[in-house]
Order: sequence, then C-alpha cells, then structure tokens
Amino acid sequence: MNKAVSVRTKRVIAALVSVGLLAGISVNTAVAAPKNLARSVVQADWLEKNLDNPDVKIIEVSTEAGLYERGHIKNAVKLNWYTDLVEVVNRDIVTGTRFQKLARAAGINKNSIVVLYGDKNNWFAAWGAWIFNTYGIEDVRLLDGGRVKWEKDGRAFTTTVPTPKDGNFVATKADKSVRATLIRDVLPAVRKKGSSDIVDIRSADEYSGKIFAPAGFQELAVRAGHIPGAVNVPWGSNVNTDGTFKTVAELKKLYSDKGIDGKKPIITYCRIGERSSLTWFVLSEILGYEVKNYDGSWTEYGNGVGNPISNPAGTIWGAA
Amino acid sequence: MGSCLISADTNFDRGGARGATSVEVSTWSKADTLRTLIAAGIVASLLFAAFLLSGKEGTGANAAFSLLLGAALGITLERGRFCFFCIFRDAIEDRDTTPFLSILSAIAVGAVGYAILFGQFLPDTSTDRLPPNAHIGPVSLILVISGLVFGLGMALSGACISGHLYRIGQGSIRAYPALLGSLLGFGLGFKSWNLLYSKSISGAPTSWLPHKFGYAGALLITLIVVAIIALLAIKWGKNSTPIANPVPASLNSVSLRNSLIVTRWRPLTTGAIVGVIGTIAYLRIEPLGVTRQISTTSRTYFEGKSWIPQNLDGLDLMAGCIAVVSDAITNNGWLILGLVVASFAAALAGNRFKWQQITWRNGLTALLGGIFLGWSSMIALGCTVGVLLSGTQSFALSGWVFFATVFFGSWMGIKLKLHKI
Repeated sequence: MNKAVSVRTKRVIAALVSVGLLAGISVNTAVAAPKNLARSVVQADWLEKNLDNPDVKIIEVSTEAGLYERGHIKNAVKLNWYTDLVEVVNRDIVTGTRFQKLARAAGINKNSIVVLYGDKNNWFAAWGAWIFNTYGIEDVRLLDGGRVKWEKDGRAFTTTVPTPKDGNFVATKADKSVRATLIRDVLPAVRKKGSSDIVDIRSADEYSGKIFAPAGFQELAVRAGHIPGAVNVPWGSNVNTDGTFKTVAELKKLYSDKGIDGKKPIITYCRIGERSSLTWFVLSEILGYEVKNYDGSWTEYGNGVGNPISNPAGTIWGAA
Repeated sequence: MGSCLISADTNFDRGGARGATSVEVSTWSKADTLRTLIAAGIVASLLFAAFLLSGKEGTGANAAFSLLLGAALGITLERGRFCFFCIFRDAIEDRDTTPFLSILSAIAVGAVGYAILFGQFLPDTSTDRLPPNAHIGPVSLILVISGLVFGLGMALSGACISGHLYRIGQGSIRAYPALLGSLLGFGLGFKSWNLLYSKSISGAPTSWLPHKFGYAGALLITLIVVAIIALLAIKWGKNSTPIANPVPASLNSVSLRNSLIVTRWRPLTTGAIVGVIGTIAYLRIEPLGVTRQISTTSRTYFEGKSWIPQNLDGLDLMAGCIAVVSDAITNNGWLILGLVVASFAAALAGNRFKWQQITWRNGLTALLGGIFLGWSSMIALGCTVGVLLSGTQSFALSGWVFFATVFFGSWMGIKLKLHKI
C-alpha cells in the first residue's frame, strides 16, 4: 500500500524542512520555525503570527468542559475528544466518514497546516493529532506547552467562535501503520520476544501492578501489571515542567536509556490509549521512529482472558 | 403589610419588610459610623484575600474570582433579603407578593444573560449537545419528590441553603444545625443515589428548551412564563407592599447611604443583580450554585468512612452542583466564604447583625430541615440557586419543575405550620 510510502515521504519532507531547504518552495509560506529540528511542534510565537493565516487551522482539544467556551486561541475550532473523535457506542476511534465531515466543518483543506493544542500537557490534543494522522492529514502539529503555557505567557484568548468555510479534505482509509491492535500487533509482539519495543506510559505503580489504576479513574482492568516485555516511561517525562516538549537530544536519551532507539517498531499504550498518544507523538512525530499507538491499551489487554501479563507486585483483583 | 417577624431567625430590623414602607428617618449615630467602617474593612480584606489568592499558580485566579462573586452575592442577598423561604412565606401567609418579584426578576435577567452566552458557547442548537456545565438536569419523578422535600425542609429549618448561608452573616444560630443537617442529608443522598439513579433518573429525559425552540424561542417562552407568574402574583398579593421604597426627596450623601446600606433593596433591583451575578458566574467559572462545596465535603468525609458507595452511577456525567472527591477548597467553597463574610459586612453596616436565640426545639427542627435540604439537593443536583435559578435561567425544564415543586413543598410546610414548630 502506498500508505507506508506516504509515511516515509512525510519523514523525508520533515527532514528537508528541518534543514531549511524546503522553506521557499513549500505550498505554505508559513513554515513553523522548527523546534529541536522537528517541524511537528509549533512555538507560540509562530502561532501568534499565523492566527489569521488561511493555511493554518487551529484546533483545541481539551478535557475540561467549558474551557474552550470561556476563552480559546483566536480562530481555534473545538473538537470534543469523547464525542467527536471516538465512536461512543462501539469502543473505537471515529469513523472516516464522520471524521471527514468534522474536519471539513473545521475548514481543513488538503494542504492545511493543522495545529492542535489543549489542556493538561496537550494530553488529548495529542490524541487528536494521532487521529488526524490516522486519516491522512499530512501536516499535523502540536502547540508547544499547549493551553497552559499560552495562558501563562499572557497571550490573548477570545470567546468568539469562528465560522470557517467548509474545507475540501478527503479522509484516507485509517492508517494501520500508526494504530496497534491486540490480535494483529500486540500479541504477536509479546509472543515473538524482541520483535518490537513496547512502551507502557502509565505510572510506576500501575506498571508494577501495585495498583489497578490511579484514584478517580473509572475505566479499569481486573488485572494489575503490564504487558510482558514493556518498559515503563511515564508520559509526563516527555515534557518539561511548563508542559513544553523536551529537546530532541533529551528525548532520545530518555528512550535510549530504556533501550528504545527506533531500530525496532514500537508500540505505545496506557490505560485507554489517550495519554500514550502523547508518547506516540514524541516517538513518531518528533523522533521519527516507527510507532503504533495501542488504543485498546491495558483496559483491553489486562481484561482479556488468557493474555500473558507481567505482574511484579502480584496484586490480585478481589484478594486485597 | 408583610411581616417577617414570625420567627426569631427572620427578624429583620431596619431595612426589613417594615423599613421598606417608610422613608428612613436618619438616626445615624457614631456607632453606625464605626460599624460601617468595620464593614468597609471587612470588604477590603475580602478584596485583599482575592488579590492574594489570584497570585496562586493554576487555580488561584478562579478561586479569587469565585470569592468576589460570593461577596457580591452575599451583599445582594442580605441587602435585598433574597431568601426563598421568606419570599414564599410572605406570599403564601401574608399575601404579600412584592418580594416574589425579585425571584422572577432574577430569572428574567439571568435568562437574557444566558441566552447571550449560549449563543456563543453553543451556536448550533439543532444537535443534541448541551452547553458546557450548564445546570440542565434530568426531569424525573425523583426531581418532583426532591423539590417537595426541599420545600418542606425550607419550612422546617426556616430557610433554604443560600438563605441559611447569608443568615449566618446576620447572626443566625439556627443556620449552623441546619447546615450540619444538610451535610448529613447529602450523605443520605449519596447513599440512596445508586438506587434512585437506576430506578428513575437514568432513564429520565434531560429537556432543554432551545433544542426545540432555539434561543430566541426559549427566551421568549421563559419571559412569557415569568410574566404570567408575575400577573398571578400581583392578583394573589392582596397585601403586597409597595414595589419600591418612597424616593427620598433629595439626593445627598445621607439618602444615598440609607438606600445603599439601611433600607432594603428593591425586589426588581435585587433580582436583576442576582441575574447579572449568575450570568457572570457562568461566563467565568461555572453556573451559580451554593451546594457543590457542601456536597464535596460531605462526599469526601463519608467516603473516607466508607459509609457511601465509591461509585455513584452516572453522577459524574450530570450537570449541576455535583461533588468531587477533594480535600481542597473548591471554587464553590471560596464563593460560599465570600457570601457569608460579605453578608456579615452588609448586615453589620446596616445594624442588622444580631445573635438570634436558639432553643432545643428550633435547633432540632433546623437540623431535621437541614437533612431534608441536603438529601433533596443532592438528589436534585442543586438547590434553589443551582437548580431553580441557574436551571430556569439556562432554559432547563428541570429548573422549572424544581421551582414549582419547591414552592408547593413550602406551601405544604407552611400550611402544616412546620415553620412554627
């Protein structure tokens, strides 16, 4: 399939942009100043200058209800992750048809630069970026530091809701190269040791099996622990205290210290696949590794009958 | 004329229903000056506290703003005697419906404000989405029952929850057992929630007028309903007090001082201010309500004791004054603090602060009434402020159902003479 080709092309373009060769011939004159040689993260200064650029489409994906309504970045369109970006009845990501409609309503064209941002270290903005990538939007970026940093820098918010003209974006078939499933990817990776790197981005206590889930989280697996062979790199370690991404060198070191250097395909997971999309973004879009996000995550894997697990702490459901 | 001197806790000295009908003869004393200065100092310290809070990273700005909102509300409730039970009782017992107009004014003004915000928050009403955080609740038989229980609780304890809160500032002692009772009541609410939810609430429709009529239609309907109730109230109000205090002959600093801090604020003005505060609250923080902190405190406490289920079905997905499990002070907690303190300042300046006597008997009725209030506002997801006001203002059918049933509950309570026990 030319899906793989397009992913590769994308990386080549990214590399070219990063050395500044493409700046003049890019369709969009406004190319983000590359941070850490990665074009997938935009800086607030750049975005502020491009708020009215018709090629730039800004999308807010926040978790807290009412945040967007009480103030958002100018011209930003709101997407609601738990209704817009998933299928609410089936547990699945949004269908291509619905996504295309949504993206067009947000004014997204084939050649748009889509900039996503959100609250909580871009947690769900990264999930948005993953979905946007899945359906073939070529240029998807995250705003460094997200909403919190933007606000802290004293930059402007507005309550005016934009009314974009319908875009002409056409959704591709869901890209299997960015999404892992239990049967196709995860179980084979577990069985064939060393074929893939698996990154568990949950907290150390969840990983070790000391707890089932952090307090206050509703979605649970009845078993504690992690996927055998997975390494634990909590998602928060991707970012600095102000929510901005660490530098490429720091990120590379963070993962290579855990034995992940991009030479093998990578699978990222968490509890329901949302926080892990941030790690997917870092590994795939910033470091350029081959990464699939496993959105079934621990609530699917840990609940599945007979799936091999590793549970160092030995916590057993109901026995505590 | 209306008398609000039936029980000790509603005793309203100057500026009460009595004061409202006569031009205040200025008898300003040195003590009044001192009291007013102290009150000004209290307000200044509230402002300073807000300033300090706003510097706290993260949640500070919203906490500070909530404190100020609470202060504004406290002053308005105290100065306008915006106490749902007093207002209902004046209407039912004394057939004085002038104070009732303040509720209608609050609904009308708030509805206009909400319509303006909704138009921007959720421009398209043709989908089945609801505007974020707005207090639009499910309409079920349980809501009807909780409205009635709330009304009875008001009659028993002498006020609704916001009423008790601002009365603390006037020196009410019964407010304490009543609020303690409501903490317990919330606990009972959490205990019964899962059963009621699965039996009735989960299947109940969440009716929002703009889904059918758009914002213009919903606002028009709301204003028409308000106008009809106003006409009925005027007809019923045989002994209604004048709608406004006589206007002082001249404008000078004495007459201004009197109308600001001594005489009771006019019902239409009071209601309009409450409506504006509600709109601003929704714009900046969340819809106005006074039970989220009480609910949170209760839930955190009882959950710690394992007396209530850890999973409250569907609760987190509902809109209203809903508890979060938290040891920290919520925005709503700051609002309540501002309300109580500012009400005290307003009462002090107008010389309406008096420790009111409490007996075993009326202490117990306050406690029992408080339990009623707590249980029902947990089940209804808010009280007369959170569901009745913020609900009707946001075009929720649940708000109107709660309004009707709370009124009917109070009417029953008054006919049963629960407030005179």
